Amino acid sequence: MRGLLPLVLVFAVGIPGAARSEQTSGKKRRPLPPEYGRVILDKQSAKAGVAPVAFDHWLHRAKYTCRLCHVDIGFAMAANGTGVRAADNAAGVYCGACHNGRRVEGGRKVFESCNRGAPGDQKATCTRCHSVGKSVVPEVDFVAFTRAFPKGRFGNGVDWEGAESLGLIKPVDFLEGISVPRKSMAAQKDFALTPRQKGMPEIIFSHEKHTVWNGCELCHPEIFGAVKKGQVKYTMGEIFDGKYCGVCHVSVAFPMQDCQRCHARPVQ
Amino acid sequence: MAGRTGRALVALVLVASAGPSGVMPWVRPAQAQSRAAEGWRKEFDEVCGKTQDAMTLPTAELRALVERCDKLAPVVQGLGEPERKVYAKRLEGCRNLYAFVLESRQER
Repeated sequence: MRGLLPLVLVFAVGIPGAARSEQTSGKKRRPLPPEYGRVILDKQSAKAGVAPVAFDHWLHRAKYTCRLCHVDIGFAMAANGTGVRAADNAAGVYCGACHNGRRVEGGRKVFESCNRGAPGDQKATCTRCHSVGKSVVPEVDFVAFTRAFPKGRFGNGVDWEGAESLGLIKPVDFLEGISVPRKSMAAQKDFALTPRQKGMPEIIFSHEKHTVWNGCELCHPEIFGAVKKGQVKYTMGEIFDGKYCGVCHVSVAFPMQDCQRCHARPVQ
Repeated sequence: MAGRTGRALVALVLVASAGPSGVMPWVRPAQAQSRAAEGWRKEFDEVCGKTQDAMTLPTAELRALVERCDKLAPVVQGLGEPERKVYAKRLEGCRNLYAFVLESRQER
């Protein structure tokens, strides 16, 4: 009986202790493929008495380059950083640059966001975007849309780069009336970055792949402000915290768990 | 006759006051505003249309582009909302890129 007492004590304390450890470990549930890249926007919504916006990147990134939205249209790189208001959309900027009921995409008119109808009005399309906490069935089904795309290991489970190289997606980079006419960019060279951790494969950074979707001004100098190679020592901790590469590769682009996508050159 | 003469005189005065632009005085402010609006957008497209070439532009041209961005900034700040918010951020992005490339050349 005395021998059983420590065991009883362990069960009495150990399991709740383990549960506490899990609760305080800060572990987040990994998002499901359709959820990866979801941004919740709630700078004004709750104050205005509407549900926050759940913006899923996957559909927009399949159709438009990052540069179009984050440079030409002017969306910030952080959630709630833009301060979009319904009046802005109704005036034809931000979401309203496309979601104006007139622009045609794929043979269909893009629905008008923030139209003048009251929330109860049949014509109102508020809940298509202001959907947090509501059971809204999206018009485009993720599984059907991505069925033919090459698969990726993490994130959306889609190899977006592969999908583009196969011509399955053709992201648009220019919007009439919004974008500035530009010449196409000269190809940029890849370069290698030596990791601080010895034994880790070198990071091969492809400027070409990034500039095709981002241009220059999306990253420089806001995300990468160093003017000289080696001036800033990037750490994985900072990157996982959403700085530098992590601005995109924690939330929308392929996630950091896919180490080999960057750490691609083995140690010789 | 007096009525006809009077009307002709009025017409003459109006045509004279239109000036070389041929625009009636009460129309001029709105049209001037429209021209100014077209002007800033044209300048914006020109300065921000070279970001793709920033790495290959001569240093003198980069400096000139930064100056043009700085001159355009107060004009953009004078726009109504929400255009002011959108274009101020876009202009800042272009300007900062050119300044970044300039700085990186100085560091080499």
